[in-house]
Amino acid sequence: MQADGVIGEYAIGGAVGAMLYLEPAATLDVDIFVSLPVSASGLVSLAPIYDYLKARGCQEKQEHIIVGDWPVQFISPGDDLERDAVAEAVATTLEGTSTRIMSAEHLVAIALRTGRPKDHNRILQFFEQRAVDRKKLRAILTRFGLTAKWKEFERRYLEGANG
Amino acid sequence: MGKQEMRKELAALSFSEKVKILEKLRKRSLAFAEAREKRKESTDAPRETSKDSQE
Repeated sequence: MQADGVIGEYAIGGAVGAMLYLEPAATLDVDIFVSLPVSASGLVSLAPIYDYLKARGCQEKQEHIIVGDWPVQFISPGDDLERDAVAEAVATTLEGTSTRIMSAEHLVAIALRTGRPKDHNRILQFFEQRAVDRKKLRAILTRFGLTAKWKEFERRYLEGANG
Repeated sequence: MGKQEMRKELAALSFSEKVKILEKLRKRSLAFAEAREKRKESTDAPRETSKDSQE
């Protein structure tokens, strides 16, 4: 899709993105953050992606489009943190095809901001697996105003833990 | 093998290998959800009364 000019930069996030760094954990869909052109009215449309995939036999199902067996959700980055996560994504390969995945530090920052129990659990997994560069994480948290939230998270979950 | 070691081993697999595991996990999750749904449907279905079953 990128090669065909349908999308700009992109990055896989969510549980599938986290799987680059952690052990696999069950998830039902794939979250792909994509940079899309903004129209004159300031709106971003996912229609070109859906049109492109539907022309190739994919079916739309609620907020997902089914690619292969997988429901995929395309998400336009909603703020500077998500835009940075797309810009700074890590290149990897999936069965010989190159793809881009959010960095561990961006995934942790987004999970911290989202703040559901499953996000907190995922952050702890990143630390257990020593998959996070703490210096890089601190810089991201500072840049995107998440330092206070991080301190609270550290106090609740990481105090006394070695990592 | 301990749980921690197993998790480390799984985390060290290639992304492609992890995706294969994830596909299996997803199929299993969907099968569980389907079974749960069927069980719920059969529990929610109105039971036949003895009179109904005689008819």
